Amino acid sequence: MAAADSPKLNGPYDVIIVGSGAGGGMSAYHLTKSGLKVLMLEAGRDYDPRVETPMFNTNAEAPLRGVGTPDKPFGFYDATVDGGWQVPNEPYTVAEGSEPFTWWRPRMLGGRTNHWGRIALRFGPLDFKPKSRDGLGYDWPITYDDLAPWYDKTEKLIGVSGAAPPRNLLNTPDSPPGCLMEAAPPRAFEIFYERAFRAMGIPVIPMHGAVVTGQMEGRNTCLFATPCGRGCAIGANFQSTTVLIPPAMATGNLTIRTNALVYQVDLDKTGKAKGVSFVDRKTGEHHSVTARAVVLAAGSGETARILLNSKSGAFPNGLCNTHGMVGRYLMDSVGLGVTGQFPALEGLPPTNDDGQGTQHTYIPWWGYEKQKELGFPRGYHIEIGGGRRMPSMGMAGLLPDDETSVGDELRAKLRNRFGSTIGFDGRGEMIPNDDCYCELDPTVRDKWGIPVLRFHWKWGESETNQAAHMVKTFLEVIDRLGGKPEKGVETDGRKAISKGGEMIHEIGTARMGHNDADSVVNQFGQSWAVPNLFVMDGAVMVSSPDKNPTLSILALAWRSADNLATLAKQGAI
Amino acid sequence: MTDAPQAPETEPYVSKIDRRTALAWVGVVGAATAVGGVVVFGPRMGLERITHGYGTDPKLTKPEKAPWSRIMIGPQLQTAAILADYILPASGAAPSASSLGVPDFIDEWVSAPYPQQVKDRPVILNGLNALGGQVLRGDAAARARALAALPAAADAPTQAFWKKFRHLTIGAYYTTPAGFKDIGYIGNVARTSDPGPSAEVKAALEAQFKKLGL
Repeated sequence: MAAADSPKLNGPYDVIIVGSGAGGGMSAYHLTKSGLKVLMLEAGRDYDPRVETPMFNTNAEAPLRGVGTPDKPFGFYDATVDGGWQVPNEPYTVAEGSEPFTWWRPRMLGGRTNHWGRIALRFGPLDFKPKSRDGLGYDWPITYDDLAPWYDKTEKLIGVSGAAPPRNLLNTPDSPPGCLMEAAPPRAFEIFYERAFRAMGIPVIPMHGAVVTGQMEGRNTCLFATPCGRGCAIGANFQSTTVLIPPAMATGNLTIRTNALVYQVDLDKTGKAKGVSFVDRKTGEHHSVTARAVVLAAGSGETARILLNSKSGAFPNGLCNTHGMVGRYLMDSVGLGVTGQFPALEGLPPTNDDGQGTQHTYIPWWGYEKQKELGFPRGYHIEIGGGRRMPSMGMAGLLPDDETSVGDELRAKLRNRFGSTIGFDGRGEMIPNDDCYCELDPTVRDKWGIPVLRFHWKWGESETNQAAHMVKTFLEVIDRLGGKPEKGVETDGRKAISKGGEMIHEIGTARMGHNDADSVVNQFGQSWAVPNLFVMDGAVMVSSPDKNPTLSILALAWRSADNLATLAKQGAI
Repeated sequence: MTDAPQAPETEPYVSKIDRRTALAWVGVVGAATAVGGVVVFGPRMGLERITHGYGTDPKLTKPEKAPWSRIMIGPQLQTAAILADYILPASGAAPSASSLGVPDFIDEWVSAPYPQQVKDRPVILNGLNALGGQVLRGDAAARARALAALPAAADAPTQAFWKKFRHLTIGAYYTTPAGFKDIGYIGNVARTSDPGPSAEVKAALEAQFKKLGL
């Protein structure tokens, strides 16, 4: 990727971008194309999906048949380098008395865009004004219409499948014509489950997946074969490392420094940002670099950590934290899953269900107009997986636990049941609350002596009631389809709900707002306290709609970067 | 079903690893020797056991052999081969579990330093040791009786061993290309488009919908 551990750092640079994932990659893409000289600092190593992606490898080629281990929690082939739920030498803590919280971090160029689920859903109009709708949470300082043009541009740039005739479903935006590529056809299990939802009056529609399914200039089309979570050697899905960083490099305006763990924004005497300081993860050497503006896009947790660690006389509690807003309003998605086994799917003729990597269809939230009656204020969408996918070590799980056959009988039973299970996963909106936040741990430091984050977490009733409804819905669908759920399904939402952070949608630690008393940054990610300091990752989000956040992080980053480029041209930074 | 008594194997199990891989391993394992295209592990006398995992940044496109030392000894491997082939013997075009190297995989699994595998280690090794006493000696009928008794074993350790070993054998077998063929997995091939399911599949689904009243 032409990134390097020690490029010339003497600049001059117009902008330093901290992070290279969705927010950092998009910022770099737009700012370099706008003619600005950019230095991108990435905490992880250089990473090139073109040569590092195990596209067609079988599990038999991997140690332990590819199962997840503490070294590679999502499996051997997952596109996560030097990370996962823990990063070597970079701990975090969870406060005593808190509910569990877990934090997924990679250390690689492109960040989490390398392994993400490629679900690319727009937030809807109601998602930007939740408080106006039901009095809960907070409204964004922007509307859907403000972001819609940037969603259009983002979808066209990164390649999103799922085109379909407009449905006009409430708070589930249809993309304008020309934004999306064709939808991949429903697979057998998707045709199957659709019938149950139809009987329940719940629409099933094409998934919006960040996968190139048609002809797109400069991009390869999906091979409909390998798991997107491994990354994509041909760049047919969206990764910052294949879609954003290469064109930014091609401008000649981008310098990338890898293994650069930024821990502080440096200020000049006038209170403006003059650059950042980082430690080289390999050598332990400290460096300071300068630019006219600084963009933080390190991920909501790391961005908050950098701000909190940037203490000075003017900001004794951390930069931009005069009102104690940094680290607050931390959110994740509500999540849980239930798997069912379906006799009706047994013995189907062999079919290739590999598909486009992400789901071909999904169920958007259908209960906006009956939230009161349902007993929880915000909704969830359903992501559903199944089909005859590449066998894994879990194959024995196709059979009942007490099943003991061997030989030809065992072979026949496995053949018959292959592809007959379906997993239903809910992803729901969380309302920000005062018990969910991060701060600096008063005693724990990382390998280089930098204070680490301490998380606080507590789900509200809005979320646990929603989780209980997910389980109820999934069990009804499984029953309607003549299936049986896996053993031991937990129906108590308080127990069934995911851990905080487990959905890897943590957002909202430096939210945008109307003024410096209610937020850290303005609607363009520009910090209220330091006019040439910007935040362009999920930290700026005000609410956590059920829709997965990556597409919105990209669209917001593009909008904010465009504003920054304008300010730069005006000499305003 | 294959519960009819079978004669004991006349040939002992030898690890199913190709010569090139074997030679590459010799430097790591030290005591492995390549003989006629297969690897025979000798005793690891005087060698320091390697107990670390593959790390957080392993090569993915051409995975290297898992670095940890293998701990299963000859009789355990032989017993694993007999049991794996009891679970999945050769059948028609489908090869036996041992011919796909499943016993080597069991060894890789129980030798691994990660929590799940460390937890499984005594379950498998104790089970193999107990079973070995019954299947490595004695006649074919005794062996068949010992194997057939496993699924119905009343004691918890044997039950746990049977379930875990069967689980690992099935997983190891069906994650290979031969396993794909046997189970009917036809993916992992590049395509220019996804045509969706065939008319035959759709018709089969429609028939099911009628039964379900959907």
